[in-house]
Amino acid sequence: MMTKMNKQKIANWGKFPVIETDMIASSDFDQLRKIIAESHTIIARGNGHSYGDNSLNKEKIFSTLKLNKFISFDKQNGIFECESGVLLADVLAVIVPEGFFLPVTPGTKLITVGGAIGSNVHGKNNHSEGCFCDYVLSFSIMVETGDIKTCSPSENSELFWNTVGGMGLTGIILTAKFTLKRIETAYIRQRVLKAKNLEEIFNYFETFKNWTYSVAWIDCLQRGETIGRSILTIGEHATQAELPVKKANQPLHLKNKLKFAVPFDFPSFILNTFTVKAFNFFYYFKQIKREIENITDYDAFFYPLDAINNWNRIYGKNGFIQYQFIIPANFGKEGMSNVLQTIADSRQGSFLAVLKLYKASKEEAHNSFPIDGYSLALDFKINKQLPALIKKLDNIVERYNGRIYLAKDAMSKKSLLDYVKTPETGKFNSVQHERINGETN
Amino acid sequence: MIVFGATSDISQAFIAKVIEKEGNKYPKIYLVTSRRDATERLAKHLEVKYNQASEIIVFDITKDSDYSVFDSVHSDLLFCAIGFLGKNSQEGLYDAVNTEAVIAINYARLIPLINYFVQQFEQQKSGTIIGLSSVAGLRGRQSNFIYGSAKAGFLVYLDGLRNYLYHKGVHVITVIPGFMDTKMTEGLPLPKPLTASPKQAANIIYNAYRFKYNKVYISGIWRYIMMIINLIPETVFKKIKL
Ligand SMILES: Cc1cc2nc3c(=O)[nH]c(=O)nc-3n(C[C@H](O)[C@H](O)[C@H](O)COP(=O)(O)OP(=O)(O)OC[C@H]3O[C@@H](n4cnc5c(N)ncnc54)[C@H](O)[C@@H]3O)c2cc1C
Repeated sequence: MMTKMNKQKIANWGKFPVIETDMIASSDFDQLRKIIAESHTIIARGNGHSYGDNSLNKEKIFSTLKLNKFISFDKQNGIFECESGVLLADVLAVIVPEGFFLPVTPGTKLITVGGAIGSNVHGKNNHSEGCFCDYVLSFSIMVETGDIKTCSPSENSELFWNTVGGMGLTGIILTAKFTLKRIETAYIRQRVLKAKNLEEIFNYFETFKNWTYSVAWIDCLQRGETIGRSILTIGEHATQAELPVKKANQPLHLKNKLKFAVPFDFPSFILNTFTVKAFNFFYYFKQIKREIENITDYDAFFYPLDAINNWNRIYGKNGFIQYQFIIPANFGKEGMSNVLQTIADSRQGSFLAVLKLYKASKEEAHNSFPIDGYSLALDFKINKQLPALIKKLDNIVERYNGRIYLAKDAMSKKSLLDYVKTPETGKFNSVQHERINGETN
Repeated sequence: MIVFGATSDISQAFIAKVIEKEGNKYPKIYLVTSRRDATERLAKHLEVKYNQASEIIVFDITKDSDYSVFDSVHSDLLFCAIGFLGKNSQEGLYDAVNTEAVIAINYARLIPLINYFVQQFEQQKSGTIIGLSSVAGLRGRQSNFIYGSAKAGFLVYLDGLRNYLYHKGVHVITVIPGFMDTKMTEGLPLPKPLTASPKQAANIIYNAYRFKYNKVYISGIWRYIMMIINLIPETVFKKIKL
């Protein structure tokens, strides 16, 4: 009943590009060694929640999802160790009830620990607490020869730093050990503030720099006076004393919530400039007060999108890209308004645009995206005009010495991406790496 | 809970499901395996993730026959996921070692092992025994009929065992997987809509356990596929290449 060897179609979160390949998962290290030896080129793939083509390879993909075992949880010192395919969601489920949280988390908990290292992910606390790998004590990685190396900032440190943010090009991470953050409650005390334009939102970021978490949602379709109209959310882990009595009784336990799902790819006409404009309008004005302060749970604060399964389907079957760039702080306002102007002119609406202040990673973490500056992330549906728009935006970002986040990238130009420098093994290679290297510009 | 073939993907998913649904109901989970290394990773995982104690019992069904290693192993739930696909007919039909291994692991040496525990269940007059067979055991096909015939034997064994133990208050569940995305099928191209993940399989098996079903297919569509396949007259079937 077995059919002939047929390759399967794989794409990451943005559903673009789609490639045909062989994907294999195994929990067996010996098996993995064999797979590596038998492949010309191969790349590790975690949960495929990068948007573009970094964890894709046309010959072979090794899915780490079966490397899913926990190894240890030191509750005295807040140190956690697990295999690389474990999802952050699974880690949270165990550590939060014990009074710990992830030191850094991206806007989804549906990524693997290996993916968190591969992209050296950051979150709403980047400006205050850095990237995920600042908290990684060590990891083990299988390299081209099949050997397993233990790496830390002091042991095999070169391989350690090449792998951090190295997009899988150094080998396959098997296990990782990282420190956690202590929390009193599973809740966040948040403040939400409206900013009427770019000037105001930049001032807010400065004013509220001392808050641990901060991020702004920005309406990309405004022009002129209201360009940069946005909503800033800042937050701190709530203490038990700050909780209402009902929650304070069980401060570390959240009720299970309903999940929604997008059942199919939306037809492409559903999302157009009009609907996005309307959405953005309501989002901005649903909050009537200029400022709110309240208590929310960590899921709602960090992972609002995870509550809707497959939300990427709203962009239709052709997929989308997320364009995330960063430009140095001194060019921040000028650069952003330039980009926003270009997007508004293009009339290619973006649902979600996220603006955030960043802090440069330490020097050793040379593959990491953050620099001292401002980053904007926005989604574009794939269409014929998109490459031209991306080219325009790339040129602006380049003019201001900016860069693009490789975990999101699927079509940007080499000069914005080649800050990631990792010695080539030839063995570990991705569609992204080939695209970037094949480009002559 | 006693688990044979503890490191199989389906066993791991089933263990997780039982703990998620019933908490640490079993003070100890017995992990029966031929591979200590991999099972140690699993035992650690169960401890760290679920605070679940377990004990590893190394037993290689292809050569071990000293059941005294099980002397202290008692439970009211036995989950048997031992299985070995072996080579397909094209490569393995005349390979006696392979043929013997397939028959031994899927049937000949498995039955006495289960029987050892049947005695225990019979005495305690309660509990559930879950065995994994395969759609391959429902009709012999040219591509893997050695495996299929061993699984067919196992199917009939489970039928009889269910009948036998019914009168002693013990329930037997036959699980019939179709294509599964597991270690066993690693590297084989499987048609997606017909392929179940270990997690989906664990859900189906757990329901069967909860509601005392006798036979379950993984997934349900295989019941109908096999119904159709079984309806094909032999004169036609023998000419088909499956
Ligand atoms: C809704 C949403 C919100 C997001 N928000 C943020 C955010 O706020 N901040 C942020 O930084 N990112 C964010 N991301 C991006 C995401 O966090 C990263 O792309 C992350 O790397 C995805 O991890 P993954 O497990 O899905 O791995 P994949 O996407 O499959 O892989 C990511 C990279 O890591 C490599 N890799 C994965 N596993 C291993 C391994 N075991 N060994 C070696 N290399 C490996 C891959 O080769 C690839 O290059 C978001 C994504 C989504 C969908």
